[in-house]
Amino acid sequence: MSLNGFGLGLRPSHYEAILGESHRIDWLEIITENYLVPGGKPLHYLDRIRARYPLVMHGVSLSIGSTDPIDRDYLKAVRELARRVEPAWISDHLCWTGVEGRNAHDLLPLPYTEESLGCVVARVGEVQEALGRQILLENVSSYLTYRVSEMSEWEFLSEVARRADCAILLDINNIYVSAVNHAFDPLRYLHAVPKNRVRQFHLAGHSDMGDHLIDTHDHPVAAPVWNLYAQAVAHFGPVPTMIERDDNIPPLGELIAELDRARAIAAGEALEAA
Amino acid sequence: MQLRELQLEMQRELLGAPSAIDRAIAETPPLPTQARLGIYRHAYLARLIETLEDHYPVLHDILGDEDFEALGASFIREFPSAHRSIRWYGRELADFLAARSPFDEQPIFAEVARFEWSLGEAFDSADAEVIGRSALEAVRPAEWADLTFSFHPSVHRLAFEWNTVAAWKAMTAGSDPPQPERSADAVEWLVWRRGLENYFRSLDPVEAGALDAALRGSSFAQICGELTLLLPAEEVPLRAASLIATWSESGLLTGF
Repeated sequence: MSLNGFGLGLRPSHYEAILGESHRIDWLEIITENYLVPGGKPLHYLDRIRARYPLVMHGVSLSIGSTDPIDRDYLKAVRELARRVEPAWISDHLCWTGVEGRNAHDLLPLPYTEESLGCVVARVGEVQEALGRQILLENVSSYLTYRVSEMSEWEFLSEVARRADCAILLDINNIYVSAVNHAFDPLRYLHAVPKNRVRQFHLAGHSDMGDHLIDTHDHPVAAPVWNLYAQAVAHFGPVPTMIERDDNIPPLGELIAELDRARAIAAGEALEAA
Repeated sequence: MQLRELQLEMQRELLGAPSAIDRAIAETPPLPTQARLGIYRHAYLARLIETLEDHYPVLHDILGDEDFEALGASFIREFPSAHRSIRWYGRELADFLAARSPFDEQPIFAEVARFEWSLGEAFDSADAEVIGRSALEAVRPAEWADLTFSFHPSVHRLAFEWNTVAAWKAMTAGSDPPQPERSADAVEWLVWRRGLENYFRSLDPVEAGALDAALRGSSFAQICGELTLLLPAEEVPLRAASLIATWSESGLLTGF
């Protein structure tokens, strides 16, 4: 199944508004884990919204880079949810979230080494086989660099996608946040990623802490991220794009207006001064 | 450092244990290594504390930000998450409150936590078709003695020694809670979900006894047997039948 256009992250505070009338939203992205529950409101609304909109599933607990064994029960639950939702695709993050059975509930960066590559590539293979489909992996924001890293993050991401034959969810905000935090040129990152593997863009807001940025998803998309998005569209062509907002969630109309800005940029309209 | 060792060290750092992860971090501008690690340490704690606030909103209001954060930080140190979904994080908080100074000095805190966790569990417990009163009316009198009952998965039984639910209701309505007050006998409570909405009500000792017996899988005859300890024998069958009719009308029963 393929998908085009512009989407939003589905959040419970918007359930009623989304079902109330039709909106300029082409599709919605759900946080997979929020629907791995037995029943009640989350699944009730999920089914109704699915009847109106195409969905994609976006997970936060796959922990694809962990040195623990793959959590088979988790994969089974994801597969069952996918059967219910029939998502256009399933994504998660190129990171690890814990070891020894723990979950830090954070997207922790990997060292960019051959050893990590081997670990991730093997696990993507296991996951794609268990789910019976190709997955998308997303670049995360990061705040540190390991001494042992042997390559750049963009080389690592590209190599994972090539060797494991998976697709890429490119988070434009995360590229920008990491570029500031690690003092690299975000365009170098954009231009290094294999074009044919990029299936989705994420846009989100961040917090400026003065000497570094934090990926907080609690603000509108920042001006430099819109600029980078324009560059990404120019380079990759039309790629399904969505806005993630996880905190300070505004009324749905505000997010749709923000999404209209992404549409305008993708249509080649000049960036307004922010 | 190999990947496994690096991940173990980083996790120790996040969980607040001594770690050697700083040796694995490259010193790069613009931030020193400790500041970079601090971002992750802070994010780990902040996310789990926020989750506990979401799962225990009234307890959070009662304690206030500062005390709740202190409670959260000590709970998180002792109970790192082993859940793939953060939805399930914090289940042990009521037991933690009941056993740890200074929180154990106010036993109502643990009861509020237990009540809020039950409401959360009822909220997204499994869906199930409930049976109405008419289904029960179709049962022939001779069959009643052996009937057993199955309940909606959202049904939770609780017993509180304090005016916990009154405090919860006041806080939820935005009013000042009553002073903590202990009742002579524990009050029995029932929490369940009907459709998409949560409900709760107190139970008198007779209904609590009958419901607990039915939840254990006792037959109608056995439930009546239990009630003879609490009621004059001649009142028992009618009372038991009336309770079961009430349960079916309230959407508690899924079968018999």
